[in-house]
Amino acid sequence: SGGTGALAQWVLLELQGEVEPRQSGDLAGSLLGDLHYTCEGIPVLIVGHHILYGKVVQLEKPFAVLVKQGGASQPSPMEPHAHYTVTALIKTKLLFKTRPKPIITHVPKKV
Amino acid sequence: AAMRNRAEVDATLQTAKLNPAELLPAVHCLSFGPQAGGGECCLLQLEPGLCAELEAGRSLIIRGEKDEHAVLCSKDKTYDMKIADTSNMLLFVPGCKTPEELKADQASCNIIHSQIAGFSKNYWELRRCRPKLKKLRKLLMEDPYEGPDSQKDQTSTFSKYTTEDLLNLIQASEEEILHQLQVIDACKIKGYWRILDFDYEMKLLNHVTQLIDSESWPLSKVPLCACLEELGSLEPREMIEHILLSYGRKYVDDGEVFFEMHEDKICRAIAQMLLQNAVKFNLSEFEEVWQQSVPEGMTTRLDQLQGLALVDRSSRPETIFLLKVEDLPEDNQERFNSLFGIREKWTEVDITPYIQDLCAEKQTVGALLTKYARSSMLNGIKVYNSRRPIS
Repeated sequence: SGGTGALAQWVLLELQGEVEPRQSGDLAGSLLGDLHYTCEGIPVLIVGHHILYGKVVQLEKPFAVLVKQGGASQPSPMEPHAHYTVTALIKTKLLFKTRPKPIITHVPKKV
Repeated sequence: AAMRNRAEVDATLQTAKLNPAELLPAVHCLSFGPQAGGGECCLLQLEPGLCAELEAGRSLIIRGEKDEHAVLCSKDKTYDMKIADTSNMLLFVPGCKTPEELKADQASCNIIHSQIAGFSKNYWELRRCRPKLKKLRKLLMEDPYEGPDSQKDQTSTFSKYTTEDLLNLIQASEEEILHQLQVIDACKIKGYWRILDFDYEMKLLNHVTQLIDSESWPLSKVPLCACLEELGSLEPREMIEHILLSYGRKYVDDGEVFFEMHEDKICRAIAQMLLQNAVKFNLSEFEEVWQQSVPEGMTTRLDQLQGLALVDRSSRPETIFLLKVEDLPEDNQERFNSLFGIREKWTEVDITPYIQDLCAEKQTVGALLTKYARSSMLNGIKVYNSRRPIS
């Protein structure tokens, strides 16, 4: 169902490949990377040792983000018969399709 | 994990050999939120109009029992849901700003710590579909209303359905359900939606047509008040009014309520009454009896029976039998299988009333025939038969 307040607007990041934690263990809490924009508005994502250049796309068909109600944290595939709430709308995506440019370095610079 | 600071961000830029002068000052440091891996969030791609509905505060409802494919319903439309896979990873980020938003807000924070709420490789795709309304009739036919004198209602153990019940059980939007209830002439009795038992319906109709005849009222101007007065002792007033509404068009003239009776619908109902008593009828005998059975002043025509009965012009003598479209399967392929099982070759004229309701928005009968049937010529006429052997 729809929310009673105004719906939040989120953004979608579309990346190639898989997202995997650097250390074994949960993804939760770990860093993905830094997202910059050039002065011309081109998104630049630095993930690990890679630089990704992307583009801002206004979605022809926006997305709704559905959150399953009932809280049971079963890692089950999407169940249409569960009860969902619309949490946010997504009208914009940052699409990173270009091949990542590796950053050549030995050690992340310590400050 | 500790949050990144400006110095660390700048160090990363330097390592990456990116020139800060070419970048907007604000940076988003992206990390995975606490719930990110939980799989509780998923994405639904919205068809035109649905986004506006959500923003207006209206609800979308996913409906379907365990054994049904889920559908999504807005206030007035129904959509099939299907999972679409992408080969990419989709991450959803609250509070992430676009370049325009950052430029517009010069005072914005230098570092924006954004938590990724979730991610997915797939999303729900929607496709507008016909509402699944066959179940509505099926539910209401579990316990048709036989009139106030029927003992059944008092002792009935069958389920009766309120509007709320129907909304929960039928895979269609509220507007589509309410519209269909009107189309099938359902009525609300004691808060429950009911369909009339056909014999009881004919009994009510007969009261009305006999009264019209004895009063010599024109079929286009049947007065409600007089009907209620004359028939009120025989049947409940609500039922008299209901039958008039089902078989007539209500209007007001000079402050009084009248009904313009639907000649076609009355003839059709009487045909059904005759046809349901046997497997098939000699066509010319049927046509004679039928014309004699309808009220004075009404003319019967075979085209009144579209979707109700089928004429067999290949048999000698020609025959006619009851075939109700609402008794046929709802699924396209199953419908065609069923029709080709009844008759091997169909003309377009004969089959159209039995597939018309399958047409999606902007789809034609011709398109359906192209998809589900194979055409050939028979005695100079184009006919359609099954694409596959019928088991």
